[in-house]
Amino acid sequence: MEFDPGLFIGLFARTFTFWWVILPAIFLGLIVGAIPGFSAANTIIILLPLTLAMDPEVGLIFMVALYASSRMGAGIPAILVNIPGTAGAAATPLDGYPMTRQGRGQQALAISFVSSVFGGLLATVITLLAMPWLSQVAYYLFSVEMIVVMLFGISLIATIAARDTLKGLIAGFFGLMIGYIGADVVYETPRGTFGFLELYDKVPLIPALVGLFAVSEAFAVIENQSILSERGKAAMQKAGWSETLEGVRIALSKWWHITWTSLIGLVIGVVPGAGAAIAAFVAYQQSRTFSKTPELYGTGHVEGLIAPESANNGVTSGTLVPLLVIGIPGGATAAIMLVVLQYHGVTMGPDLFMESPELAYGPFAAMAVTYFIMIFTILPLARYMSKITVVSTIYMSPIIISFTLVGAFVPRQYMFDMYLALVFGVIGYIARKTGYHTAAILIGVILGPLLETYFLRALKMSEGDLMVIFSSTLANVLWVALAASLVLPYLIQRRRRLRRGQEAAAGGTTE
Amino acid sequence: MTDHDEAEKPERKSLGGDLILPIGAFLFTLYYFYTIIDVPRIAQISAFFVGSILLVLLVILAVRIGKEVKAGTADLRLGPLVEPRSFIPTRLALFGLTLGFIFFIEWLGFTIIVFLFLVLAMLLLSKGQNKGMIFGVAGVLAIGGYLLFIVAFSTRFPAGPFEQLMEKLF
Repeated sequence: MEFDPGLFIGLFARTFTFWWVILPAIFLGLIVGAIPGFSAANTIIILLPLTLAMDPEVGLIFMVALYASSRMGAGIPAILVNIPGTAGAAATPLDGYPMTRQGRGQQALAISFVSSVFGGLLATVITLLAMPWLSQVAYYLFSVEMIVVMLFGISLIATIAARDTLKGLIAGFFGLMIGYIGADVVYETPRGTFGFLELYDKVPLIPALVGLFAVSEAFAVIENQSILSERGKAAMQKAGWSETLEGVRIALSKWWHITWTSLIGLVIGVVPGAGAAIAAFVAYQQSRTFSKTPELYGTGHVEGLIAPESANNGVTSGTLVPLLVIGIPGGATAAIMLVVLQYHGVTMGPDLFMESPELAYGPFAAMAVTYFIMIFTILPLARYMSKITVVSTIYMSPIIISFTLVGAFVPRQYMFDMYLALVFGVIGYIARKTGYHTAAILIGVILGPLLETYFLRALKMSEGDLMVIFSSTLANVLWVALAASLVLPYLIQRRRRLRRGQEAAAGGTTE
Repeated sequence: MTDHDEAEKPERKSLGGDLILPIGAFLFTLYYFYTIIDVPRIAQISAFFVGSILLVLLVILAVRIGKEVKAGTADLRLGPLVEPRSFIPTRLALFGLTLGFIFFIEWLGFTIIVFLFLVLAMLLLSKGQNKGMIFGVAGVLAIGGYLLFIVAFSTRFPAGPFEQLMEKLF
């Protein structure tokens, strides 16, 4: 796995010649990513007869392009109508949707596209260069370390709950309890299922996402003519191409923010099973922690939009690392890619890099080229996409309800999941109206099963000794980092307040 | 007390709605604990850990609200949850239509139920105006959804008379 510039240049040049595969995959990926319930994984499964019939290289490029673009597509409805297309985009509306309500939807889309593309591109290039080292990350993270990684995600609840910490924490821990529903992974005992067999396999994520974000939003917005505020309507009427360019300028001026949040995504992506949702939430939380203006997060703050979008695109290349290096897929889409490649007789692992480097490094080249082509194809569309926000709620609400409920049905094809989405819709509606954050509930639902699984594994190994969570050096370092990320913002804020007070006092003395 | 005093009195917050989710969370947590009584201790630890934190948070919230009610700065009316009241009937009707949508989709299939739901819900929200536009939008979306999801993506949505007819025809 040594770095060979000639190989990479040749690979990129060759991948560009497959633009005819990449382009349709991009548009298909954007569509399936934007519709809740339709993931890249499902689409690749549906298109298996097509990809299996293709040459392995072409099939791989098609799947990678679809995967990368679906990640970006999921952010579009999250920003425009507060409905994340996938769980990976669940942190995007925290600041993206308030921007839309202010009439800055077009700008928010442009910022999201630029952050996604540059975050994804950067992560891809770094993955290519750092493949030998990155592939080792998964070896060092066991149950104990993963508990701390999960808690990093949960600490976001406190961040979201900044305005009413108590309510936010209640929402988050209620979500965690909901996430605990179903049979546990070690003893297979069903808990809290109300007798529903459909809940034995845990609470499905898409109905929770659809209910908490889409259905509750559709019921809430019928009070207004459109989802835009009065100021937002005026701003939308004036919006032109300059809004897109301004979005690009803003995003590029935050290049450092894009860089480090995409790296968070990359590292979390390398860990099998961690996924884009956790990466996006952790990046959001870290972004707020080190921000000079943490109080602006949740009000339509640019950095609050950049962080989750670059992180969830950083995950995309990260998930391919364990697949290619050790043959362990980092997510559902990577698992399907593994099936397709094995069908063609390609064996994953270190030998692949020696025997056919074009196939081993190919997915990353395909991803980089996809991101490159994507920025030129999608950016001009931001202006037209943002027009959806001016559609009257008379039309918007019923469309959201009917299409997202059917989306909740798609992954498991249980009628039960549509009822479940409606139940989550009611919970989400009550939460919205009474000041409990729906995103905090969703974080709980996402992280609950993962946290419990790692907890159970760690406890099982230590025969029930809770101190096992402090038993590894790496975990202890992560614990310190977690504590620092929670305490630092308060210390920084306190220091700023003190400095301001001193400056004011000094000003008063001089006067 | 004079009218002037009455006018200056700060408006009381209605916190009854704030209690609905916590009450649900409290009942659910107790039910969850009940379902794990007989499971091995290791499997209980994590749930008791998270559930206990939730219960403590709920008690703190109850005390906070109780203090505000006692001080007369808040009451237990539902407040923001039911405001604006003029929308309650519309919202309940939309909820009923949504329930009907889920209930009948098994028999009517995706295309017909989406068309019917869109027409009825849009007519409800527009108070019966723009009928032509509503029928047009609902028709285009239902057919468009059929072509995109069922024909193009081969999604196994519930099939009804329309989907069966199309399958026979093409």
